[in-house]
Amino acid sequence: MDKIYLKFIQLLNPVLSRAGVDTDQLYQILRIKLIIDERRPKVMFAQRQNNKKKVQSPWFVSFFTVLMGIFIGLVLFLNKMPYVGQTIYFSVFMVLMSLTLISDFTTVLIDTRDQFIILPRPVNDRTIAVSRILHISIYVLRLALLQGLPGLVMIGFIDGLAAVPVFFIQILEVTFISIFLVNIVYLVLMKFVSPQKFKDIINYIQIAFSILIFGAYYLLPKLIDVSILKNISILSHWFSYILPPVWITALNELLFHHERADMITSLLAITGLVVPLFGLWLVAKVLAPGFNRRLSIIATSDGSAGTPAKVKTEGKSGLMDKIANLVATDPVENAGFRITWKLATRSREFKMKVYPAFGYIPIYFLYFTLNGKGHSLAERWENVKAGHNYIILAYLCIFLLMAALSNVAMSDRYKSAWVYYTTPISEPGKILSGMYKAILVIFFVPYSLFWGAVIVGIWGPAAINDVLLAMLVGIIYGILMALFMIKGLPFSKPVMIKQSGGRIVTTLMTMILLGGIGVAHYFLMKWETVIWIAIIPFFLITWIMLHYYKKTTWESLEMAEDL
Amino acid sequence: MSETPLIQIRNLSKFYGAKQVLKNLSLDIYPGQVIGYIGPNGAGKSTTVKILTGLIPDFTGEVIVDGISMAKDPQSIKKLFGYVPENAEIYDVLTPLEYLDFIGKLYGMESITLEERVTKLLAAFGLANNVNDRMDTFSKGMKQKVLLIAGIIHNPKIIILDEPLSGLDANAVIVVKELILRLAKEGKTIFYCSHMMDVVEKVSDRIMLINKGEVIADGTFESLKQNHSDTLEKIFSKLTGNEHSGDDASAIINALD
Repeated sequence: MDKIYLKFIQLLNPVLSRAGVDTDQLYQILRIKLIIDERRPKVMFAQRQNNKKKVQSPWFVSFFTVLMGIFIGLVLFLNKMPYVGQTIYFSVFMVLMSLTLISDFTTVLIDTRDQFIILPRPVNDRTIAVSRILHISIYVLRLALLQGLPGLVMIGFIDGLAAVPVFFIQILEVTFISIFLVNIVYLVLMKFVSPQKFKDIINYIQIAFSILIFGAYYLLPKLIDVSILKNISILSHWFSYILPPVWITALNELLFHHERADMITSLLAITGLVVPLFGLWLVAKVLAPGFNRRLSIIATSDGSAGTPAKVKTEGKSGLMDKIANLVATDPVENAGFRITWKLATRSREFKMKVYPAFGYIPIYFLYFTLNGKGHSLAERWENVKAGHNYIILAYLCIFLLMAALSNVAMSDRYKSAWVYYTTPISEPGKILSGMYKAILVIFFVPYSLFWGAVIVGIWGPAAINDVLLAMLVGIIYGILMALFMIKGLPFSKPVMIKQSGGRIVTTLMTMILLGGIGVAHYFLMKWETVIWIAIIPFFLITWIMLHYYKKTTWESLEMAEDL
Repeated sequence: MSETPLIQIRNLSKFYGAKQVLKNLSLDIYPGQVIGYIGPNGAGKSTTVKILTGLIPDFTGEVIVDGISMAKDPQSIKKLFGYVPENAEIYDVLTPLEYLDFIGKLYGMESITLEERVTKLLAAFGLANNVNDRMDTFSKGMKQKVLLIAGIIHNPKIIILDEPLSGLDANAVIVVKELILRLAKEGKTIFYCSHMMDVVEKVSDRIMLINKGEVIADGTFESLKQNHSDTLEKIFSKLTGNEHSGDDASAIINALD
């Protein structure tokens, strides 16, 4: 596949060499960059398979993109009313494409190694600039074609064979607009935030992206009523006229549905053709030069590249100090608490894996509870409010605890954990209990309290005891999980680690236990006092278990083999 | 030694914002010299190297290499240089063969010569069995060897080595030290940056000490010894104003009480 692109680019060689590009070097740089891309794991998919560090094959990624294309392609069939299907299609196309570009391609754009590998060699600036532009173009076009392929086929069935080449042009239009948007986002970010912040923000965009995909996958089928969507009249809203997908759709309307097209449609179609080209021109002429310069600042600010890098200072966190000294009084436990707190809130890797859970939980809740086909959304929501399903939300919060726990022992830089093994720690359980408390304090407790407050707000104070009990169950479950499944000091194990068979059984057992308690809770909810009384033994169990967790010995811990 | 210097630096200055990192630096380097370029952290060593290798294009003053001005034609100068960077940046998802093939072709080398040379060099550095392994599994020393090869693959006139021994085992260190001397005998000019004084002392025939953006000592090890002290380490600490290293040590000891 990549060979075809490279062959194609070689056709441009006469033009390029006249522009001062060394075409042999260009070929080499692009070839190497494409190889690197192919071997690089993609952010979007790293999420789900974090225990498989080895490469997802490029075929898998391509397959997934095409699958996505099929899903969004289906809306094209909503073509009874003007504009509807294609407008939705291109809106989703644009959003997906922009987000993929930002989350997956930022690392490629900011490859600091180029500074030391390509720049000292006799390669001129124009060759480097052109190689970068072509590299991005190949990436974007590959994405656009894969994502648009199902749409191309489908439109052939809907509007006839002639619509296929037109649809291809429409895909190019939406691609150009996405590139334009992404450039604007980058420029704005680069202008207003420091390079360090920039990477953090990109990180958060990636997290938001995975929540969005997750939410769309689970909730859209429940929320959207196709029969309403089919009859929506897009052009009756004034703001439709400023939406790029509407302009792009206009081309199809004009050529294949001229019986319902008018003057405005033609104007919109022309806008759709002109604006993307204008945007591309703007990117190339006005935005790109400053862009490359700023990008190199970001690239160099990272390492020892000479610029007196602004040192990121971390202020003394008074709140953390107070909490740490309050809940973890033993010095060793205190150290475990603080190190977990700091690493968990600063490491991008950890955030990327755990923070999406913040969004998944309410999505799961709505997915499980918003039932009742044929009723309107408001009716279904009334149903939820009338019932006692809020307990599902309270228990779902445990999912966040699970996500945090299953990642807290792992890190790409697990080798830094040598400090635990060279210092005379006789009771590693103290570090563990510090770690566990930190996770409770930063993630689980505030998050549960937040949803607890929401629950009490909607369902009334009768829910307070349920929320409290669910929290205690969560804490107990967390300790069980930590005891039997995590078995590692904070950030001390490599990400790829084999799951032993016995562990799967224990996982299953604890899950069943958790489920059993949840179901029992659900049936006992009617008797408020029972729940209040149950809180007492559960509190005691929590306390005792924490006590034993603190006694964990070296023998029961697992450590990395290649420290 | 010939009369025309291979590298001429005149009044080289570099600012980062208001901070001046290089202050009117001037030096001449002649073919076949091994220059030991030393200085404390933040003295301007890396900046000099980055200007010489074309990583920092904006500076004031003049850099002329082999009669070519850096400001006018950096590409021709880059062809003369081989560079082994300090921070071990490498595309580690590639194999050594792929990586070196790529680097060689950036210098415009022919595939056939290149392939032969790469294979020979990898074998000479003891990496014959790892030719087709991805470098993300390599140890630091193995990566350093690949970087060293990448620095000499096109048989450059001038070789800039920035801490080239980091991560290498004792045997490899001996090989590299020997290699430096042999390359100098072949007429190569070597610019050697390091914090390891004992190695600098042994391999270089001219030592330059830079501090706060200025050259504060320049000469053979012998001449430096006469004027200052008897080991390079002591000369270094005396000239960079850290003569009383004993005091620092006592302060450290005292803090433990």
